Amino acid sequence: MRARKLMALAGATLALGLVAGCGSDDDDEPSGGGTATEESTPAEGGGEAIKVAVLSDCEGAFGSFFEPTVSGFNQALIDAAGAKPAGQKPSDGLEGATIGGKEIEIVSYGCSNDTADKAIEETRRLMEQEDADILVGPLSGDEGIAVANYAKEHPDKTFINGIAGAQDSTLKVQAPNFFRFHPDGAQWSAGLGDHAYNTLGWKTAAIIGDDYSFPYTSLAGFVAEFCAIGGDVTKRVWAPLGEKDYSSYISQIPKDVDGIYVGIGGAGLISFIKQYKQQVGKVDTERMMGNVFWDDPLVLKEVGKDLVGGTTSAMTAADDDSTEVKEYIANLKTSYGDEIAGAGPSVFTYGYYTAGRALAKALESVNGDIADQAKLQEALSSTELSGDEAPWGDVTLDENHQAISNVFVKKIVADKTGDGVPDVQTFARIPDVDQTFGGVFSPDTPPPDRENPKCKKGTPPPWVGNTEKVNFGG
Amino acid sequence: MTPVSRGRSSWIAIAVVVVLAGLAPLVFTNFFVSVILTKALWLGLAAASLIFLSAYGGMVSLAQVGLYGVGGMVYANLVLADGGLAAAWNPWLATVAALLIATAVGFGFGAIAGRSEGIYFLMITLAFSVLVYYFFSQVTQLAGFGGVNNLDLPGLVGNPGLDGTSLYYVTLVVSVVVFLGLRYASRTPFGLALQGLRDEPARMRALGFDVTTHRVLAFTLAAFVAAIAGVLSVWYNRRISPGSINLEQTINILIIAVVGGLYRLEGAWVGGLVYALLDNYSRDWTPEIGNVLGPDRFNTIIGVVFLIIVLLSPGGLVGLWERVSDRVERGRPTVGPGAEGPPQQALSSEVP
Repeated sequence: MRARKLMALAGATLALGLVAGCGSDDDDEPSGGGTATEESTPAEGGGEAIKVAVLSDCEGAFGSFFEPTVSGFNQALIDAAGAKPAGQKPSDGLEGATIGGKEIEIVSYGCSNDTADKAIEETRRLMEQEDADILVGPLSGDEGIAVANYAKEHPDKTFINGIAGAQDSTLKVQAPNFFRFHPDGAQWSAGLGDHAYNTLGWKTAAIIGDDYSFPYTSLAGFVAEFCAIGGDVTKRVWAPLGEKDYSSYISQIPKDVDGIYVGIGGAGLISFIKQYKQQVGKVDTERMMGNVFWDDPLVLKEVGKDLVGGTTSAMTAADDDSTEVKEYIANLKTSYGDEIAGAGPSVFTYGYYTAGRALAKALESVNGDIADQAKLQEALSSTELSGDEAPWGDVTLDENHQAISNVFVKKIVADKTGDGVPDVQTFARIPDVDQTFGGVFSPDTPPPDRENPKCKKGTPPPWVGNTEKVNFGG
Repeated sequence: MTPVSRGRSSWIAIAVVVVLAGLAPLVFTNFFVSVILTKALWLGLAAASLIFLSAYGGMVSLAQVGLYGVGGMVYANLVLADGGLAAAWNPWLATVAALLIATAVGFGFGAIAGRSEGIYFLMITLAFSVLVYYFFSQVTQLAGFGGVNNLDLPGLVGNPGLDGTSLYYVTLVVSVVVFLGLRYASRTPFGLALQGLRDEPARMRALGFDVTTHRVLAFTLAAFVAAIAGVLSVWYNRRISPGSINLEQTINILIIAVVGGLYRLEGAWVGGLVYALLDNYSRDWTPEIGNVLGPDRFNTIIGVVFLIIVLLSPGGLVGLWERVSDRVERGRPTVGPGAEGPPQQALSSEVP
């Protein structure tokens, strides 16, 4: 009797072992496209594939940006590595991507949920179980800081940020193998403080944002600039990311300020705008500004009509009619159709796109040889993007591997194109915005948080009063 | 089969499992040992604290995640770290303090919740977990939503991010000790009284037992186990943020306990392992079905597996195992679930 029971137990353990065993070297069925390779040892020259993993969010407040982010990265390899979409959806993967005679295999598209814990678990799955050489991602601020710290401990792998915009991941962590080819949250806010104080005449402002590292960074950019010129931020309100009920936060916003800067993102922004309208009567956009989410195509589609008149800024401008931008959107459309192409001007798509282009360019310059990743990392740190590699303006890196690039200041205007969705009118460009804001932020300043940076008058960032007026298509 | 031989075979089974688990790092990759097995073990510890209360005390508590959150957060604040108090204590001292404080908080929670029963107990313990979540979200001096990162760990576990073997063995040993400890506790006069008042609180009161005190003490003991899980979870993650102890995690721990089996302690670790495996591999395995299932479709798989297990066997995977092995031994179907099962299962089937 007992022997039979023990036999059964042994059988169960064996079955469990089999399950685990096929998991421990699980490179036989990558979810992304590409052909699987038999060998799992790191590249030793020869014709072995370069394994790339993409990490984004498919759950949580940014879950709806999953396919757009993936499409951005894929499009970069379609443009620069001769790849073809393996299916209708971006997450179906790619086939035929090669650089320097080496095949590029996308081992998996990782899915996190905007928490650092999950981002690290997914990073470990992609890098240690799927055995990727290079990671492109993640999407959200706290995740980015965690992945940069992970990168620091794994110098033999290379990490290119997706679209996570917290300042710390480059300015503070300074991992030698972590690169960010797009501006951080503070850089995206460049020009808004200037516009608020000098053009709109705001003297006082309140800010409201999600309570985590990206909005801290995003609002820090506004506070640093607005206060340096002489403005005063009298109230900072923070709501949990993905909050459903903003009523108590909306009632905390003071009535006696000249303007409000809104740093609520993702799914929360849509609830916030709807509830603000109900509670206050209307969204008084002439005295409101929003961060990078405001003119995101997905947000405009949902609540765009209420945002008309609001000012926002970021590294992309949907109305830019340059050949490079038109081509970029047209290429996305050819690969994935109208819906994905519609999200082309989203910073989410574009951040992953520039990451992919930078990777392709650096791989090209080392001729696909990643046996020594230090060489690839060196190539990446001197990679500059221009022309069709970065349709919205050249990208260079500073010594912390952080992008220096263009920022556009825009106004949301009523529908011009006839699709029923409000459009964007860009009125200023700020070239070469750097992460330090001309010295306001440094590795020694406290990281942006609920109270920092403090609001004080000082030397304004170099672009104040020096923005370039633009009028696309005008 | 006599009770004696059943007892002896269960000891053998435990020994076999522990020896096999001890050999795991020789067989599996560092990734698997760390991300699947270690995680399964500490999730199992958290679930074990829930199962202990449920199986022996008849209390299904949702406060366990809140309590392990307190343990984890106290540890995170007392050691050198990015964020929080960064008090830079010795990690072992911080561990002891975390266990003591979380147990004390558990005693406090228990003193309030111990007087209620059934659905009211469930609700009040859920409120505790939510309270802990919002406390650490809003008190930014202690955490804030960004949490506490890059924690200093005891030298014993090394750097689990690079080599998870030592942390795995630590977690394994702790799990075995906790399992045996809770099993022992259930057979002491205290544990027997607890089972008595689970089934017949009125009679136990008539016999002179202090029902509330017993329940509070059981809750405190479970809080201690949850605190251990909390400290191990921050050793494993090397960070903790309110996102690690949110409502979703509360539900995850309940799912782990139910999948493993709410009536047997060992179910906690079985559930933990199943959950860790599913959570990791379903991301690659789950097929796409047109546009019906989005990219987060693996949640569907976890949900379907949960439903199947609950429908097939109210006693979870361990209950299923017992039914199967009973059938193998006797060569004929059992009369009914729990009819000849272990005493606690038979008793608890009467608990609403």
